[in-house]
Amino acid sequence: MLRASVAAEAAGIPSSTLVCESFMTLAKAASQGLGYPNAAVAPVRGHPGLQSREVLQQNIHEFTLNGVIDNLLRMPAQKSVGGEPGARDIVCSGSFEEVNEYFLAHEYSDGLPVVPPTIAKVEAFLQYTDRQPDDVLGVLLPDNRAATVWSIAVNGVMAGCRPEYMPVLIAAVEAMADHDYGVEHSGNTPGGENLIVLNGPIIKALGFNYTQGVMRDGFQANTTVGRFWRLYLRNVAGFLPHKNDKATFGNTWRVVVAENEDVVAKLGWPSHSAEFGFSAGTNALAVGRYTGGNHISSVSGATPEALLPYLADAVVRQYSWQIMFSVGQGYDTLRPLILLSPIIAETIAAGGWSKQKLKEQIFAQARMPAREFERILRDWTQKPTWNLAEEHAAGRIPEVFHESDDPERMVPIVWRPEDYHIVVTGDLGRNSCYVFAHNGVLGFPVGKAIQLPENWNALRQGAGESHD
Amino acid sequence: MKNSAVTQYAALWPRGPRQAKVKPLAQRLDTLEGKTIAWVWDYVFRGNEVFEQLEKSLSARYPGMKFINWAEFGNTHGGDERAVVAALPEKLKALGADAVVSGMGC
Repeated sequence: MLRASVAAEAAGIPSSTLVCESFMTLAKAASQGLGYPNAAVAPVRGHPGLQSREVLQQNIHEFTLNGVIDNLLRMPAQKSVGGEPGARDIVCSGSFEEVNEYFLAHEYSDGLPVVPPTIAKVEAFLQYTDRQPDDVLGVLLPDNRAATVWSIAVNGVMAGCRPEYMPVLIAAVEAMADHDYGVEHSGNTPGGENLIVLNGPIIKALGFNYTQGVMRDGFQANTTVGRFWRLYLRNVAGFLPHKNDKATFGNTWRVVVAENEDVVAKLGWPSHSAEFGFSAGTNALAVGRYTGGNHISSVSGATPEALLPYLADAVVRQYSWQIMFSVGQGYDTLRPLILLSPIIAETIAAGGWSKQKLKEQIFAQARMPAREFERILRDWTQKPTWNLAEEHAAGRIPEVFHESDDPERMVPIVWRPEDYHIVVTGDLGRNSCYVFAHNGVLGFPVGKAIQLPENWNALRQGAGESHD
Repeated sequence: MKNSAVTQYAALWPRGPRQAKVKPLAQRLDTLEGKTIAWVWDYVFRGNEVFEQLEKSLSARYPGMKFINWAEFGNTHGGDERAVVAALPEKLKALGADAVVSGMGC
């Protein structure tokens, strides 16, 4: 909303942005990042989603109307943005505890102790990239800060990463800066959290866990790279709770999930990175934002046909309001992510199913009645009518959503089988799955190659290749 | 007071340089009478009802006001947000908008 207002202001057209009372602090912080710290906002009392039509009308008339008029007729007082340190400035000198107290006080820390980012430690990270420290990988909203290689190293140190993780961190920030991912939405109400999925020989080279407990903290590479993502969102993108981060409840960061490439290769299935165009053996990562997820326990059956109902049922149950990213708020941006434990994937493959066939079968089975799909859209978008027939007639959605006028017809939750993303990982011998609820356009999956420095092998040999 | 017996660290600033420079807001209007207001919406939180109510109240106070429906601009928070927002200045000018009301930030 502010981004739209700012576009108008830049074109010489005055604006007023309607903001709920509880979002006023966010509006102030976001305005500053957009370069308009005095952007004009008119408050909306309470939340329209919880008001009767009469109360909403009364609130708009008594509370918001004058704000809008004032915004458009009176120039808001100018506000300045305070100066900041330079990228290489030392902001605190002291003991471990003193540095950590300073970083907590200045909101640079996530609450856990951070490793003090000294020049020596940062330079150790910079050895693991051929890029220059001042290279800019993108500009991150809402703070509108440059994502530099230098700042990646600084936050990598703080997160407890090892210097050799630097190529992974750079690829992660390249993904964060990708417009398709939409980092600017990382502080929205549902509080979805990012997941990094890793592929390639670098999994073993750096000691990432890809078996039992793959989503559990306790493995340095998985844990610290996951923590790095959240620290970078905080310090460079600018997502601070009670300011730009308006997650209602939120989650802590997710550890990196690495795929079990040995099992994937044995099955002859493409790895997850193939979804993003990378060939087998390429070091690559994918990111996406998920509002939640659920473990699907004791998936049982000797054939893929027997296992399929568990998966289809789990997918449908995990998705309710998020289907508006398939039809509505973000057309064709829903990409459900399913983790299969290796033994489940092996059983499916043993039945002669390829990964593609599995996707086709999930697409065919993970469905809900059209009337239910439309009801969910109505309830969650508060748009009084949703009609899949009209959407199809208007050319906005594919025919699979309207193959007849029967309200009981079963419709999918995504547009095509390929929209399902499947990763093989976790405990080798357990018959479980995990389904993530995707946040659609507010964290669309993107993949990036991990570029190793030319002297990677020499650096690793020098470091003793402790994880090989 | 610092304890000199323990290891000392010189810690770097962890943030990135801001890229946005502070820019001036557009000139405000001298009156709303006779002016055209564009409603711009992110398609959530009953913005259509809020705009409808504002339109009634503003019209009562400024009978000569005109309004441009939000449907002219597309969803400012959907899958094509960047394209919609990028096209906004040109559309606003083409439609003769004097001011914008954008919602809903909730």
